Amino acid sequence: MNLLRTVVALVVAGLALSACGTTEEAERTDSGSDDLGTAEAGPVSVTDARGELVELDAPATDVVGLEWNVVEHLVSLDVMPVGVADVEGYSDWVQVEPLDDSVVDVGGRGEPSVEAIGALAPDLIVTTTDYETSVAEDFEERGIPVLVVESADASAGIGQMRENLELVAEVTGTSGRAQELLADFDVTLDEGTQAIEEAGLAGAPFFMTDGYLDGGRLSIRPYAEGSLLSDVTEQMGLENAWQVKGDPAYGLSETDVEGLTALPADVNFLYMANGDDDPFEKGLADNAIWKAFPFVQNGDVHRLPDGIWMFGGPTSMSAYVDAVVEALT
Amino acid sequence: MTQQSTVGVRVAARTPTPPGPLGPEPTPQTVPARRIRVSLALMLATALAVLLSAVHLAQGTADVRAGDLLELLLGKGTERAADVAVASRLPRLLAGVAVGVCLGTAGAALQSVARNALASPDTLAVNAGAFLAVTAVAAAGISLPVLASAGLAFVGGLAAAGLVLALSAGGSGPTRMVLAGSAIALALSAVTATLLLLFAQETRGLFAWGSGSLAQIGFGVLRQTAVLVVLGCAALLLLARRLDLLSLGDDAASVLGVNPRRTRVTAVVCTVLLSAVAVTVAGPIGFVGLCAPALVRLVAPAVPGLLHHRALLPMSALLGVVIVLGADVLLRASVGSVRSVAIPTGVATTLLGAVFLVVLATHHRDSGPARRAPAARSARLRSRASYTVLTGAVLALTGGAALLGSLLGDTTLLVGDVVNWLSGRAGPGVSFVLETRMPRVAAALLAGAALALAGATIQAVCRNPLAEPGIIGVAGGAGVGAVLSITLVFGLAARGGLQADRLVLVGVGVSAAAAGATTFLVVLTDPFNAVKAITWLSGSTYGVMFDRLVPLALVLVLVGPLLVGHHRELDLLALDDDTPRLLGVRLVPTRLLLLGAATLLTAFAVASVGVIGFVGLVAPHAARAIAGSRHTRVLPIATMLGATVVSLGDTLGRTVVAPAQLPAGLLTALIGTPYFVWLLWRSRGARQAWH
Repeated sequence: MNLLRTVVALVVAGLALSACGTTEEAERTDSGSDDLGTAEAGPVSVTDARGELVELDAPATDVVGLEWNVVEHLVSLDVMPVGVADVEGYSDWVQVEPLDDSVVDVGGRGEPSVEAIGALAPDLIVTTTDYETSVAEDFEERGIPVLVVESADASAGIGQMRENLELVAEVTGTSGRAQELLADFDVTLDEGTQAIEEAGLAGAPFFMTDGYLDGGRLSIRPYAEGSLLSDVTEQMGLENAWQVKGDPAYGLSETDVEGLTALPADVNFLYMANGDDDPFEKGLADNAIWKAFPFVQNGDVHRLPDGIWMFGGPTSMSAYVDAVVEALT
Repeated sequence: MTQQSTVGVRVAARTPTPPGPLGPEPTPQTVPARRIRVSLALMLATALAVLLSAVHLAQGTADVRAGDLLELLLGKGTERAADVAVASRLPRLLAGVAVGVCLGTAGAALQSVARNALASPDTLAVNAGAFLAVTAVAAAGISLPVLASAGLAFVGGLAAAGLVLALSAGGSGPTRMVLAGSAIALALSAVTATLLLLFAQETRGLFAWGSGSLAQIGFGVLRQTAVLVVLGCAALLLLARRLDLLSLGDDAASVLGVNPRRTRVTAVVCTVLLSAVAVTVAGPIGFVGLCAPALVRLVAPAVPGLLHHRALLPMSALLGVVIVLGADVLLRASVGSVRSVAIPTGVATTLLGAVFLVVLATHHRDSGPARRAPAARSARLRSRASYTVLTGAVLALTGGAALLGSLLGDTTLLVGDVVNWLSGRAGPGVSFVLETRMPRVAAALLAGAALALAGATIQAVCRNPLAEPGIIGVAGGAGVGAVLSITLVFGLAARGGLQADRLVLVGVGVSAAAAGATTFLVVLTDPFNAVKAITWLSGSTYGVMFDRLVPLALVLVLVGPLLVGHHRELDLLALDDDTPRLLGVRLVPTRLLLLGAATLLTAFAVASVGVIGFVGLVAPHAARAIAGSRHTRVLPIATMLGATVVSLGDTLGRTVVAPAQLPAGLLTALIGTPYFVWLLWRSRGARQAWH
């Protein structure tokens, strides 16, 4: 009881001594502080993936991105975001479109800090349908517009990526840059397709996957038909050899080593990993099933370079096309 | 009074009783006849295990079926079939066998040592401790060789088991141990979940693995741990005779030349070793250690002699194998080989095991002395004046927590900011922060208050100081799931008039099943978003708005006074079954009403912020410790303390790793655990079975 009293007294005293100021001047009149710097003037209004109308007086310049695919879109559109969820993770996985040092980390992708975002006073938050909609509405109620794009759609593949980029470009007034990026991507894709054809690989089967290793267990995550990567690779003239259906959004499926026996002998086995963790080389070196696969024996297993975001935008996909060409020809 | 009287009937059920008046066998049997029956039972179990193994081998993602394997045996199979069999099916089968043997044996031995049919690697938190150790290493980015990893799992498991056994030593029966174990397991899992969240990259695959999976990429892990399995099982078999004698009671065992303490310690070390191996091979596969020995006891009446440890241990090991392989086979058969890759085997065994726990509980007869009231050690009665001062102090504490919550977060504010905001004079920056922060602060306070109130009620009604809102089955998730599981708990426990112990045990079982089902759903619907799943499962105030809190506030305002109005009934129910009856309280309707009220509070708290554990357990205790055991006082004090604890947990979660966040539920568990452990330690029974 005495202890309790002391604690309460201390808490109260501590608060009284230390915390009784304010962090801002009282009665601050809010004189418009953000009038400078707009690229393409004029109001914009778009309908986002929720079916909500997003209206801005001018194209957004101070943008916060909460999912890595939209962050990549923003960076590639030369709209360096002011805040990004999980900067460290982005820098590991999306090396093709690096962030400036000025970008502020606003927390994890699951529960980004609303306060940190608010402190940046952005003119727009861009996120995906994976984010909780009630929080998006809360931002809007308090005057920060939110653009929600479809996270992915396994029935649309590249189409969804284009649509998302164009949507982000429209609200940031960078539609011209978006068309450039998409045109560049088309060129890269054409060149890639040509290279594949010249190498006599048109119609050849491929298998694209990533995976992770934990002790004695290897989870393999194939990119099924409809996933962005699969769509791009098929555009290059290759055939996805993986017949299992993926999830409806990202087009991912899951399997184990013996599940790979469904692959044809002449498959081109492509995979991605990150850093020193190479689940296939490390995990399967002694596995009899793996060693017996003809594509393993023929050296048709290729690790693609790190830092290409599997769910990213035209820059990641162009890098991917180049990487596939490099690996197969 | 000796130890025997408290555990008498329970032990009798599983002591190797010679056939006699108590035994189920009407005719005495000769020793050879008994031996034949035991060997027959063992052979039957072996046959079943072999049969399941064959089915298990024929299942898998590759198109290698029974026919191909048969051809292989005849020496004319394809090379691919041979590879699949050797590099995938056999390792998986052997992993299943190893896990089954380890957990089955460990469960049987632990139950003997603890003289408790509900002891198991799960209920003693061994699995949780071992898995925490493994996760901690993964989070640190270290990849250890298999044996070192097993060693670490062993240390973690041993520490957890030691803690639970020490805390429940001499306590009042199996319920206390199960609850102490589940609570410790919950706390350890909270730490594990925090690590998984903080180190999402390093610990990626561990979430699915956290429920146990048999998939293996080779014999590597199995080869290296095989020796430990053999050692552990052999050591326990060598102890078999002593374990038999031990079940006669410590005194009898001592007279017959067995050192009870040394025997127990050796046995526990062996069982933890076996459980650690199982965790290293396949992750924590739930409830096998509980079910296997339970099954043996189920068939034991037909096979006298089966409960001698020389037969019990191998039989339990065999049935462990049957359960693990059976669950795996069922899983593959029901959702198909391709889909089942993503679903951990442990989820299936947990669902199966939970059913067992519930069945055991509904047949549970506690023969202990009249249960002690939850006010195991409450403060003496205070004068009205001193209670008023106390209430003021606790209220100040709650206010302090609320204020702290409004000041701390991603941006630190000062009191003046809050005052400005309240009077509408704050600038846009502060307004923005407080508009997001205050609903969260309010959510934490309301949820904490509701859960603490529910906890105080449930502890009184269940007459068990270790009961908490989670046990009425809402832990599994909000909405339909919660309603379903609550109905289930009440329905199953209703036989015999909602007997307190039965309710608790059924609740633990149903909660485990609900948690298993939730994991199953998460893995099935959104397998690639472990972070989201963990956050969702552990109670968070993220994104809460004021309007979403209105229902919870309303329920609190309506149900709170109702409960306070029933303080006399709560006081009486907390005593025993007879006093309230004598004083004209109708037991079943009153219990139903009070539990219904607690359920309402819990359900609305869960619907607003998700599952926040521990507060409903700890706050009522703290309240009794400072305000005495009368419910007129316990209820308000517990409510305020609950609000304080969850508020602090929420504030910490928003502050310590800012701008990243941890769910309030995890931090509440982390804050609550030390107090809870201390509480259990203090309230240990006078008899110390471990000394």
